[in-house]
Amino acid sequence: MKRHPALREAAIAAVALIVVLMIPLLHRSPAFEDFVIRLSAMALFATSLNLLVGNTGMVSFGHGMFYGLGAYAFALTMQMTELSLPVAAVLAIAITAFAALCVGAICVRLGTDYFAFITLAFQMLFYSLIISWQSLTGGDQGLRGGLPRREIFGFELSSQLHLYWFCAVVAVLGLLALRHISASPFGQTLRMIRDNENRTGFLGVVLWRARLWAFTIAGAFAGLGGVLAALFVSGAYPELADWPNSGQAIFAVMLGGINSFLGPVLGAAILLALNDVVTRFTEYYGLVLGLVILAFALGLRRGVLDFLKFAWPRGTK
Amino acid sequence: MSELITRRTMLTGGAASLLAAPWVARAQANTLRIGMQSILSGPIALLGTSSRNALLMEQDRINAAGGFLGRPIEFVFRDSKGQPQEAARLTRELVNSTGCELLIDAEASSGAFAVQEVVRDLGVACIHTNSETSSLTADPKIRVPTAFRVARQGVHDAVAGSMYLSGYADAKKLNKWATCSPDYAYGRDTTAQYLQFFKQFKPDLEITTEAWPKLGQPDFTEVITKLIQAKPQALFTLLYAGDLSAFVNQGNIYALFSQMAVATPNVDYPVLAAIKTLPPGIQSATRYLETFPDTPANREFGQAYLKRWNERPTNWAWQNTVAMQFYEAAIKKANSLDGKAVAAALTGMKINTPFGVDGTITMRDDHTIINYAIGWGQTTPKEPFIIDVKAADWGKIIELETEWKKQQKYI
Amino acid sequence: MDLDALGACLTTPACVVTQTTSGLIVGMLLFLVAAGVTLIFGVLKIVNFAHGTFYMLGGYVAYTALGATDSYALAVLAATLAMALFGILFERALISRVYGSNVLMQLLVCYAVVLIFDDVVKIVWGPEFHAMGMPPAFQVPPLFIAGGVVPPFYAVLIGVAALIALVLGVGLSMTRLGKTVRAAAINSQMVSALGVNTTLLFAIVFAIGGGLAGLAGALAAPVRSLSPGMGFSVLIESFIVTVIGGMGSIAGALVAALVIGMVRGFGTIGFPQFTDGLIYIVMIAILLLRPQGLFGRSS
Repeated sequence: MKRHPALREAAIAAVALIVVLMIPLLHRSPAFEDFVIRLSAMALFATSLNLLVGNTGMVSFGHGMFYGLGAYAFALTMQMTELSLPVAAVLAIAITAFAALCVGAICVRLGTDYFAFITLAFQMLFYSLIISWQSLTGGDQGLRGGLPRREIFGFELSSQLHLYWFCAVVAVLGLLALRHISASPFGQTLRMIRDNENRTGFLGVVLWRARLWAFTIAGAFAGLGGVLAALFVSGAYPELADWPNSGQAIFAVMLGGINSFLGPVLGAAILLALNDVVTRFTEYYGLVLGLVILAFALGLRRGVLDFLKFAWPRGTK
Repeated sequence: MSELITRRTMLTGGAASLLAAPWVARAQANTLRIGMQSILSGPIALLGTSSRNALLMEQDRINAAGGFLGRPIEFVFRDSKGQPQEAARLTRELVNSTGCELLIDAEASSGAFAVQEVVRDLGVACIHTNSETSSLTADPKIRVPTAFRVARQGVHDAVAGSMYLSGYADAKKLNKWATCSPDYAYGRDTTAQYLQFFKQFKPDLEITTEAWPKLGQPDFTEVITKLIQAKPQALFTLLYAGDLSAFVNQGNIYALFSQMAVATPNVDYPVLAAIKTLPPGIQSATRYLETFPDTPANREFGQAYLKRWNERPTNWAWQNTVAMQFYEAAIKKANSLDGKAVAAALTGMKINTPFGVDGTITMRDDHTIINYAIGWGQTTPKEPFIIDVKAADWGKIIELETEWKKQQKYI
Repeated sequence: MDLDALGACLTTPACVVTQTTSGLIVGMLLFLVAAGVTLIFGVLKIVNFAHGTFYMLGGYVAYTALGATDSYALAVLAATLAMALFGILFERALISRVYGSNVLMQLLVCYAVVLIFDDVVKIVWGPEFHAMGMPPAFQVPPLFIAGGVVPPFYAVLIGVAALIALVLGVGLSMTRLGKTVRAAAINSQMVSALGVNTTLLFAIVFAIGGGLAGLAGALAAPVRSLSPGMGFSVLIESFIVTVIGGMGSIAGALVAALVIGMVRGFGTIGFPQFTDGLIYIVMIAILLLRPQGLFGRSS
């Protein structure tokens, strides 16, 4: 019997989505809804980073730049033009993808360590542009005044419930798309490059072109995450494009599992949940988070999903 | 096949565990919870911790007097770590999940704008206590019906400061000035405001050079040598807290303070506590000073705070104190905690408080306070540390503020 | 942008000398702070993302030691030794467990330490900022050397930084210990098979790297503010220096630090509001022209 992995995955995604969409109909919890909205943004961001890190072996320290660019492009379009929300979102993603293409064209030819630092340099440059270009971006105060006209297809996104549904749908669809890319022949090429780039090169693959595609796609999906983040805060802030935020995505990937597709999503969920819970009890969040990270890094030695696969390997596969 | 089970099991298991307890909290029956969020960690943690200190003192005082509407009050403190998206989340959490009925937003400027948007959606009463950026209340597009500001304001500071400094500059014949301000929105906007009014009061003012170090920059060396070379007669700087402290220490070894007069609004008790060799004769505003206003009530506050917390108050401390005094009076008047009712009571309200120029502070129609004590004087190495304090002329402040608001097209 | 001012400065000898001197001072301080990162990477191929924490703790230890003993020299010594010890503990307890792993796992471990100690510092010393103040021995007027203003305190710091550059550079390339350490970084099994205790060796390297960071923190403390989270900006600076100079090259770090010092010295005149953006552009330009950094070895 022929397997249809894509269909199966779409089915799982549909089930998951329906479960998530139904929860508020049974029990309203604003904190949970906020959590899912933020997780949607972060999950896209982290999973897109893993397309680079886990799949292609390209460690990018500057990925937050595209998350932030997506947020700013979207928020600025909404504030400055009369374009509708879907158009603004698509435009923001297009701008981010283009930026990723340009930055990637410069960076992808560099070896691993230097790639990491040059992406970081680009991110810091972008961040300092945001801060300096105060007349456009509001500088360190971010875009103020909120986002107007938050309607899409009859949904009022200023209502938390509608925003929750919208973000859940976008996140699941986005992750499904990323999964499709990752499972496709292109995705396999990326993993071959990660494992042995010389051999892959001998097979006729143009390495830098594959990497550039990966970088651009990853940037575009990070931008989509940024759009959701902008909807959540009703604006855009430079912190979204700052390198500690890139760090957050890296931690999500590492905590959840670099070798599992849903690893970054789980990692993001862990980080966000930890943040929400710990800040209720103590102001020493850093201390707690640091200890948790050490437990993962030194104890499990790998992300949660990777650890589960390691401890309970799948049968004969 | 097992792959299917693993993934699906994890997804539904995950959903189930997410539904669990942490997000649902029950407020204790009668207690009135007031949400307070601020920056409690990182280099600027003092902003949040001194705010919290003052609020805890107010909590005790108010509860001893019967609380609000007969209910004891209890603060719920949260740390946004200076991240605006975290600030927005916390506001929603405090109101929606933790059951807070009033908000004190003690965030710095960028966080305050994020909180403002959430308050706009939620409609709960909120007082911003630490944001000094004028547009938070001056800009009608940003203003929110139930949000108020009890804090110093950049434009008030600029008018008061430039009035004093132009008098000082005329007296000492200091025409050539340099500026050195942190390179971020507040630094740039406030410096521009200061210079605008300064030039109005003293038309022969000449700015020889401007320096713009980054906020939190550890090493000011090249900035200091640039300033010295420009040979100004006086320096105006908006650096504050740790940056001001580092700048003074680094400036000292270049003998900067013997080559030019220095003026800043920002010498306060924390800076005084940190720098042991503060040069005398620096012109400074009094962000909080125990001897200005020179009243027993003010001194009592300073002493009580020092006794309880083993450190001296900051302007953040008095601002949060006054915010609670406003809430106390407004809630009594409105006899309700509803956002709109409290807002109606707060607008235009005048209260008695030790931190007002004449013992009172008024909440204006545009949701920001006036008549709080602003003074300028000069530093001295021993108590009370700032002497010859001259109170600012509020009539003039309001007149020029109105002009400025017209220029910015806010009115 | 203030290109007129820049032009004016470049055509005025006094200005050129003064800003070059301050660029030199800034650069040497940067090198002093970055030396520890370069050493550890050069030898162990580990990027010490916790470097800023060593620097911060060095500053705080010196501050407390000065308060207790009234001797700046003792304070500096205490900070250096404390951070050397901390380096050993850090390496043995944490880093040694992630030697072979993904660089991101090492980043995670280092970052966890940063988070933990930012809060520890806040608990022990409080959230407010502190300033050590200049030790009385250095409270003297600045010197005038060749038309440039040089405060004696900075003259001493420059001397110390230059000495460290010399010792590290010569030590790594010419002494037996240095060569052993470098060999162990390339192939520790072989070196260990030759009878060298590589465990001890790596611990020593971290002790020196940590000690250098602590020393830098203690030396800079009189002129800078101490606050929780102060390691952050120092970490970024150190990385920029190390990456531009070439990961693992002491000479490279020195040259890179001086380049950055000069960019800041003249950038603050020509581009007062975009000086750090300028530095990132320089970093990108150098990495594009020479991806391994100025003095790095191409892989």
